[in-house]
Parts: sequence; C-alpha cells; structure tokens
Amino acid sequence: MKNEKIYIDRRQKINELRAKNEKMTPRERCIKAINFEEADRVPIDNWMVPEIKNGCMKYWGLDNEAELLEFLGVDIRDNYGPAYAGLEFKKHPDGTVEDLWGVRRKTVVYGKGTDHQGTYTEVAYSPLEHMKTAEEINAYPRWPSPDWWDFSKVKDECALWHPKYFILNKGDRLDRTAQLKPMMYLRGIQQTFIDLAKNPKIVECIRDHVVDYFVNYNPKVFKASGGEFDMFMMGDDMGGQSGPLLSVDMWRRYFRDAFRKYCDIAHSFGLKVMYHTCGDVYSLIPDFIDNGLDCLQSLQPRATNMDIKRLKQEFGKNLSFQGGMDIQQVLPLGKPEDVRKMVKYAMDSTKKGGGYIICTAHNIQVDTPIENVAALFEAYHEYGAY
Amino acid sequence: MDTLLKISQYVEQGQAEEAVEATRHALNVEKTPPIEILNKGLIAGLTAIGEKFSCQKAFVPELIIAGMAMKESLDILRPVFETSGVPSMGTVVIGTVEGDVHDVGKNIVAMMLQGAGFTVHDLGVDVPATKFVEAVKQYQPDILALSALYTPTRLAMKETIKAMEDNALRKKIKVIVGGAPIDQSFCDLVKADGYAPDAPQGVQLCKKWIS
Repeated sequence: MKNEKIYIDRRQKINELRAKNEKMTPRERCIKAINFEEADRVPIDNWMVPEIKNGCMKYWGLDNEAELLEFLGVDIRDNYGPAYAGLEFKKHPDGTVEDLWGVRRKTVVYGKGTDHQGTYTEVAYSPLEHMKTAEEINAYPRWPSPDWWDFSKVKDECALWHPKYFILNKGDRLDRTAQLKPMMYLRGIQQTFIDLAKNPKIVECIRDHVVDYFVNYNPKVFKASGGEFDMFMMGDDMGGQSGPLLSVDMWRRYFRDAFRKYCDIAHSFGLKVMYHTCGDVYSLIPDFIDNGLDCLQSLQPRATNMDIKRLKQEFGKNLSFQGGMDIQQVLPLGKPEDVRKMVKYAMDSTKKGGGYIICTAHNIQVDTPIENVAALFEAYHEYGAY
Repeated sequence: MDTLLKISQYVEQGQAEEAVEATRHALNVEKTPPIEILNKGLIAGLTAIGEKFSCQKAFVPELIIAGMAMKESLDILRPVFETSGVPSMGTVVIGTVEGDVHDVGKNIVAMMLQGAGFTVHDLGVDVPATKFVEAVKQYQPDILALSALYTPTRLAMKETIKAMEDNALRKKIKVIVGGAPIDQSFCDLVKADGYAPDAPQGVQLCKKWIS
C-alpha cells in the first residue's frame, strides 16, 4: 500500500466511513443479509474487469487485488473451484483454442487504439451446430468428465479467506453451472433458439449431457471444500433487455427440473444458492423461488421490469438480491452525482430487513471513469449503514 | 381458408415449409400478384409476431423461426420481383460494429427488414468503420443500421458515424442503432438518427423514415 499523501487523501473517505459503520466480520454481515436480517451495513460484492481492477489499484495506491478488496470493504471472496487437470486444450492453426466443452474460442479486441481498449474471449466455432440428430450428439467425443479436475487444493484456497470472509463458489465464466449457456456455446446461439422452438429432442439431448456433467461435478467440488463454502453460484442468461429470452412455459418445459436439482444438491451441502442472469426475468422469478433459489444476482436496472424497489416489495420476503448497479449507462456515461443517486435509491429501497448484497449488475467495464468507480464505493459505505 | 391468411399464419407460427408451399400455391396456382402475397401474407405474419414479441406474448425463439419462414417464402417471390421490377422499400446496410462479434439480434433485424421489403446488405460482425464507409459508397443505402452488445464495444458506433461525416456520407443516410446497451440517450450521444428497443420496432422506424 502506497503512503504518499495523494493516496492517503483518496482513501480517507472510505476508511472513515468503514471505521464508523463496521461492527461485524464480512462473513457475519453476509450471513445476516442472506437470512433476511439487518447487519451493521449492507454487504458489498465486487464484479470488475481486470482493466478496472488495475485502474483502481493505481488510483488508490494499492499493490495487489487482495489489498484492493480489503480496502473497498468487499465482503465476499470468490472461489473458482478445482484446477483443470485434464488433457491440454487443443490449439488450432487459426489461433482458436478449445475449451472444456470442445468449443473453439478466440480472443477479440475491442476499442483498438483507444483508452478503453480491452479483450474478451468469444465462441469461434460451435461443434454441435450442424448435427441433425440426438444420436450424432450422443456420439460427440468431447463431452467433459468431472474426473478431469484436481480437487485437492479447493479447501486450502478457501481457508485463506475463512472464517473472516463469505466464500462464494463461483466457478469460471466458461464452466459455471448452467444449462442454456453451454448449449448455446456448443450449438450456436441462433441454432439453440431455433431448436427451442422446433427441435425438442435436440434440446433435451444437449441439456441432459450438460446437466449430467454438473450433477456429478458439483458434489465433488462441494465435498472438496470441506464445508468452507457459504454460497454456490450458478448462472445462465435467461433475460434480454426488454423481456425474457423465452417464455415461462418453455423454461418450465426444458430448464425447471435441473434448476431445482442444482439447488437441491447445493442445499444438501448446507449452501445457499445464488443465480446469475442478465436481463428482464421478472416473469420467471416466482418459478425461481418455487424451485429453491435463495439469491437472485444481476438485477440489471435498465432492463424492463427489473426495478429493485419493485422486486424487493414483491419478492423480498422469499428471495434475497445481489446486484442492481447500472453498468450500461450510469457508471460509464453518468457523473459521480448520478452514481451516488443510484446507490442511495437501491439502499433506500432494499436495506430494510436485510436480504440485499450491493454490487454492479455485471462487471464494471473499461468504459467507466475511475471517478465513478470511486463514487460508487464511497456511496456504498455512505448509504449502506444501518 | 384464404391462402394469404394461411401464409400470414404460417409465417407467424414459424412454419417455414407450409409457408413456402402456400406462397407457391398463391403465386403459381391462384395467380395472386406477388406484391399482394408480400403485403397481405408475409408482412402481415411478421407484423403479427412482432406485435406479440413487443408485448411479451412471443419470445426470441418464436421471432427467429417466424423470420426464417418469411425469408424462405420471400426467396420464392424474389425472382418474380426482380423480373417485374417491383421497387424495393429501401436499401439498408447493416452490421455489428468493430470489436463485437455478436450477431443474433442483428440477424433478426436483417431478416425482418428483408421481410418488410427492404434490400439488405449485411456486412457481418466486427466490422471496421472503413468497411461501413466502403459499403455506403458502394450500395448508396437509405439507412445504415449498427448493432452492438457490450457497453465498451458500442463506442465503435461513434467512430463509425464520425467516419460517415468525414467522408461526406452522413447527410445521405439515416443511421439507426440497436442492441442491448443502446437507448435514446446513447443514440443522441453518438448522433444517430434513431434507436429501437427491439427488432420489430426497429423495422417500424425504418419504414417510417422511408415513407
């Protein structure tokens, strides 16, 4: 941690507010919130792209990510599960690399030559896209195995954070427990939508392979943690900007049973379940609750029907929430005052009775000015105290 | 049942084979003027599913298969239009901007614009501003349609529109922007002419500009 005056001054507000507000450990705070009780302040989670993490460390004079999370008062620590120990992912001459599912991915650069340049990994080839029958799909040689992982270090990695922090078993973005996402990677997004409307056997076949993998993989991960996890996170994107991607009936037909199964397995290990989905999923929320969900993550505020105040009023007795901070307009394009207003609105709407962990609706992206990130975390501490 | 009504229902329900068969029947057996098949059959069906989509009575899977049924039926009519010289509704150059490889939304919009009678030149994904400039020079479209999914990639829309200004093309076209992170304030920021929150409303806006 750098001790020049400029950094001490920048850190002062958050340090002062935390000293005044905090009377619990981060884990105690999160456990209260997730069980619908008021803690000392609303717990904080943090989703940022690496470029923003680096920008924050530079701005506040911090030397590494652990220092950054500690300084910001982030209460949750992520565990990405076991280490991959299977065969090396195949590299193709065109620069694409196969992932766990045999899906070929490439690195795409955006904002070339600008101050918001960044990269992300995208699907370049979906191996099941042109298959016509369930038999062909069953014969796909690259279905992954839960045995391809080294589970030996999971507990030790969690022990670094326990018991002070609340541990979230998050999984990597590309192998996070899901149903629709791996299907889209394997089959292509457009073809998956066509299948959902026209090819039920194909949907069921791919889904069954995906579900079978996670149903066998997750208990091994939970067991390996030796009771160190507090919450399990799964994720799919079922929502678009102005409505769910598919109907409630379709969700029930194809995805409800495994959603419940995933929740049941985590609950049998004493874990709470958080579910990530972008977009407007308002009409699906009652089904999420009925099928075992504890905490809904994202709450994308610019999607239709996802106003946090309304969600809290309608579902807040049975469902806790994580997210709600807008990365589409307010953080990248607004002023620090707009950021503070957004945080205050979310806190005023949700903090009563617990059940809320404040966070951005997705990763803070590289297009966000550092002043707005600073305003965000200062406001978390300013408006989050009980 | 009236064949045109059948065509519209087949399109609305995404029944491509049936829609194509009924289009052939209307064209070759009943000798219905192709413009009537387009307007009262295909466009009527697509409009119906678009309205359902906008009020959450239909969703992305249903919209895509309806668009595909329409496109396949349109392929039957297109040769007739080409020989009979029925004018296009207008020309659109469409693409996902540089740094972004997402195309599902863009493909739905392209498909629906074709269904509405536009001539569409789809430049694909990760399209640099220079390529949009070349295409606008080449095809002289009425409308340039730009798509993006991520917030950082949407900034390439600004570069693309600026490139149109730099090449003295901006005043010759209307620019529509769309995609999950786009709203009216972002549309104003990048100085586009309009935005739409979903594909059916995007098509409506394009039609309004042309009429």
